[in-house]
Amino acid sequence: MSIALRGVTKQFGEYAAVENINLDVATGALMALLGPSGSGKTTLLRIIGGLETPDRGQVLFDGQDATLWPIGDRKVGFVFQQYALFRHMTVFENVAFGLKVKRRRERPSTPDIRNKVQDLLALVQLSWAPDRYPAQLSGGQRQRVALARAMAIDPQVLLLDEPFGALDSQVRHELRRWLRRLHDELHFTSIIVTHDQQEAIEVADTVVVLNQGRIEQVGIPGEIYDLPESAFVHRFLGQVNELPVLLRDGRAYVGPIDISAAADVQTGSAKNIALIRPHEIEIGHADSGWPAAVVAVRVIGPVVRLDLCAEGLPIHEPLEAEISRERFEAERFTVGQRVGLRFRRWQVYPAAA
Amino acid sequence: MGRLLLIVTALLFLAVFLLLPLLAVFAQALAKGFGAYYLAISAPMAWAAVRLTLLVAAIAVPLNLVFGVAAAWAIAKFNFRGKSALITLIDLPFAVSPVIAGMIFILVFGTHGWFGGYLRAHHIRVVFAVPGIVLATIFVTFPFIARELIPVMQTQGKDDEETALSLGATGWQTFWRVTLPNIRWGLLYGVLLCNARAMGEFGAVSVVSGHIRGVTNTMPLHVEILYNEYNYTAAFAVASLLALLALLTLAGKSILEWRQPELRHAARVPRDRTRRANT
Repeated sequence: MSIALRGVTKQFGEYAAVENINLDVATGALMALLGPSGSGKTTLLRIIGGLETPDRGQVLFDGQDATLWPIGDRKVGFVFQQYALFRHMTVFENVAFGLKVKRRRERPSTPDIRNKVQDLLALVQLSWAPDRYPAQLSGGQRQRVALARAMAIDPQVLLLDEPFGALDSQVRHELRRWLRRLHDELHFTSIIVTHDQQEAIEVADTVVVLNQGRIEQVGIPGEIYDLPESAFVHRFLGQVNELPVLLRDGRAYVGPIDISAAADVQTGSAKNIALIRPHEIEIGHADSGWPAAVVAVRVIGPVVRLDLCAEGLPIHEPLEAEISRERFEAERFTVGQRVGLRFRRWQVYPAAA
Repeated sequence: MGRLLLIVTALLFLAVFLLLPLLAVFAQALAKGFGAYYLAISAPMAWAAVRLTLLVAAIAVPLNLVFGVAAAWAIAKFNFRGKSALITLIDLPFAVSPVIAGMIFILVFGTHGWFGGYLRAHHIRVVFAVPGIVLATIFVTFPFIARELIPVMQTQGKDDEETALSLGATGWQTFWRVTLPNIRWGLLYGVLLCNARAMGEFGAVSVVSGHIRGVTNTMPLHVEILYNEYNYTAAFAVASLLALLALLTLAGKSILEWRQPELRHAARVPRDRTRRANT
């Protein structure tokens, strides 16, 4: 099922949770709503699911106006961060819930319910646990039960609100990959809310970045990371170094350095900033490039992060650079060493953003 | 050492202030033997008091049950204007003395009260009759169930209910199958407290009852009358019945808890790191 939002606005008192949101989700897509807390991503998800009603605007399901449809009629599966399993029911009863509450005419027979629940438990790899209570399961297992329960009603849309937020990073990573495979097998439309940019990039086909109730950018994961349209998106999707920039006579200067050749200027504003990601700074020998000194070295698995103090730059903190482990092993940079920097790519934005 | 001291202090306190008086009640009641005891509790006036007390509790507790669940639900799961005023109002019966609670009803429904003329014209007796006792009891026991449920429902949040609705359950199904099981221990505890107070209330009921023997005397009132007449054996015999009712409700609660399999399961399993598994 395709979903479309048209001019959706929701206020909570004085506070605009989401403002004039227009968005299209194609059938079978896996879309991530990404943003910091308070950006309106959860409100948007709840509006799509029918847990909130927008003050203005429309929600369309397959082109039909579903704005005021009751939640039970929408055929959406919800998965919450805290699982929301019914703790007085066994795993089996939890998964069967959506089938057992159907009206008598639509309710499957008891053996049919049993078969369906068994199939779903097999799908989420919990066939061994139908008689367990939620309190007897680990966090990752509980979230898989919640998923099976949501899928029992054959939803057209799966809505996941920070589904892996309460799990440790190992389990989170496994479940993400598993969810992605499941989505590819079963072809429903999924929307996942997350504040974790890595999660969004790893799992989704399309990433929507939200900020203060508005959409900042919509794009495929690679595009969002490489071509951010605003300083907010640029910062939110990964580490950045941020420096004031001066635009003069069609050229761009960071302190005394002319960065025009490597700068992508998207601004006509008077005050501007230049952003560069750590891996976009190259480190070479002191006789070539901009002079700097190594302040700190941290080896983080496959990458190495270095703090660098560059000469004459209008910045008080050291620059952060990232190089591959192989390059680090070859060069063996040490603290205090003089090096030369080359800046591969700058992005210039208005300073206010 | 410190731990031992704490435990001993607590046990000593319990023994002196709770167990000893309780034993004293039964000892006094049986001081003149079982025959006298039986005679005291089988007196028609005593039986009338027992019946009235049970009747009042049977009306007041279910009404406050419905009200308590509704109020707690509204407060815990919705935001609306006047929410804090409602919470304050629920606490009012705790804040005012029961005697004042009784006086309020005299003022409103008494012969010279606001509705006195109307009630007399229609031959309806509220004050110095059973309806007044029921009203006063409802007023005094008003907060017990709501107060017990509000924090329980607030910690549980709305996720479970929203999930049930998204799975196609109706509001009614959601209440019976999800909300009620989630709050049942708090609810049971609230009902027990409410019931204990409804049966034991003295002050408010004393003001509106009029102390008509065999008609408007509840057990606590009857105990006082017997006591004032220096009929100690009978007084403590009826008092022991009241105490017995209280002990029975507590025993009932323990048995119910013990028979809940998932509670015992939950106790064995380590808690979720991020959220309490059981509230």
